[in-house]
Amino acid sequence: MFPELNSILNTTPESFTQGEFILVSDRQSDASFLIHHFLSLYLRARCKVWFLGLVQSLNHYSAVSQRLGVSLAQAKEKGQLVFLEGLKESLSVLIPQETNTGSQAMDFLRDPAVGLKSLYEFVRSGVSSSGGREEETDGAEEWGPPVLLVDDISVLLSLGVSVGAVLDFSHYCRATVCSQLKVEVCWRRRQGDGQYTQKKLFQYKVHDKGASFFARGTSSAVL
Amino acid sequence: MLTELLQGTDAGGFLIIQDTASCSGRHLLKSFINAVLNREEAVHVLGFEVSEEELKDGLKGSPIQRLHFHNAYTDPLGWTDHPAFTVHQFCLVELAHLVKQTSHPKPPTLVIDSLSWILRHLSPPAVCKTLQQLRKGGAVRAIIGLLHADMHQRGTVGSVCHLATSVITVVPGIRGDEAVARITKRSKSGKVMQDEEVFSIKEDLKVIVQGKPSQLGPKQTDPEEQETDPTANLTFNLRLSDTEREAKQKLALPFVFSKEKKTALLHSGPGSGRILYEPDANDDYDQEDPDDDLDV
Repeated sequence: MFPELNSILNTTPESFTQGEFILVSDRQSDASFLIHHFLSLYLRARCKVWFLGLVQSLNHYSAVSQRLGVSLAQAKEKGQLVFLEGLKESLSVLIPQETNTGSQAMDFLRDPAVGLKSLYEFVRSGVSSSGGREEETDGAEEWGPPVLLVDDISVLLSLGVSVGAVLDFSHYCRATVCSQLKVEVCWRRRQGDGQYTQKKLFQYKVHDKGASFFARGTSSAVL
Repeated sequence: MLTELLQGTDAGGFLIIQDTASCSGRHLLKSFINAVLNREEAVHVLGFEVSEEELKDGLKGSPIQRLHFHNAYTDPLGWTDHPAFTVHQFCLVELAHLVKQTSHPKPPTLVIDSLSWILRHLSPPAVCKTLQQLRKGGAVRAIIGLLHADMHQRGTVGSVCHLATSVITVVPGIRGDEAVARITKRSKSGKVMQDEEVFSIKEDLKVIVQGKPSQLGPKQTDPEEQETDPTANLTFNLRLSDTEREAKQKLALPFVFSKEKKTALLHSGPGSGRILYEPDANDDYDQEDPDDDLDV
């Protein structure tokens, strides 16, 4: 996680608003560094994280998280991180085999017109089975509020899913995860309160181990 | 005209609040709900887009016992086993049944949040038919709907707005806490009135109309916007002291033609060159009489 971004957004691993829906969007540039930030932030905050990784493999996120000081393999082992490897799962759909143990989450690849109900089912069954309850019967570690991260939604559009279906999917995720379970959903803008959203504008530069943020026009390259 | 609309629509009225991604109309919708509740009338809300908590959050202090929220937020498409209200139940029969469930002497106002959700899943003609039937049916006194104009094709937006008796389009205002409402109202006689007003909404959901957009001055700096000072944290000084600022303002720029320069040029000082001219016959050239032979 990037400490500068934390101070801009007023979040720390110890305190962040629950029930939020964060949308990260980019145009003509790559905002994936923000996904890595949020992933490491919530893992450090000891939240239970569900990650729908549709564009990169688990190894990719592991490698980047390693540099940010978080081990995804460990988190997975401990049960803190549930990772849907979209790329791997899609193989089981595209190349059907008899010993098919994959979940039905990526079934929309068979027929994109059907919509994302099966993907939502994956999220719902995972999140509601362990989220929101304080006691863990098998002595496993207790985790904080669940977080759903999706990287990223636009690839669903490229795969033939309609915009309406994607909107419905995000609506259902928000309704289930944010309202019923009071947890967080983090996609790839801050959702504003009331009529007027507060906008803050920054420029950023991504480094090997982090990103630095500064006000417009004040980067060291300019001054 | 906004205040008039807030005070009450006539029976059978259909108000649409049209908004876009750049300016949300939900706050204004809440103000309308607040106004209806304060008139001691019942309100039924079909909530697709926001949860009951979120909608009632802004309505603190209003008599919300008369507000009946129908939850179409958790499962609007019937993906779970027990949906409360799905989008496919948006038809006259179901809605009339829904509204009759709560008893109240006067027919309630139906608020739809939002029409866009319904239009995304049902065909526009079906939606228009239901809306028209609701208006004429008498089950509800008035309908207020929120419509996101940038989510649909213009034809769809136009068709639905054609059914409405009033349409309020909200666009962002010049200042951060204000918005502009473009209002079109159709009276029963067929007369169409249009108006444009700047408004802002207070904490208690009261709408304050500031006036017409042209009346307010040019762009005022937004006090909420925090701009970092670019002259801070530098190794050199970019700021001006008061004396320096004064001197800067007094400075006459070299190529500005001021009054002093004009007089200096017109009245040449001592020792500067003078031009002596004696009229010459050849210089006496009359444009209208070049050969100088006309008897004028």
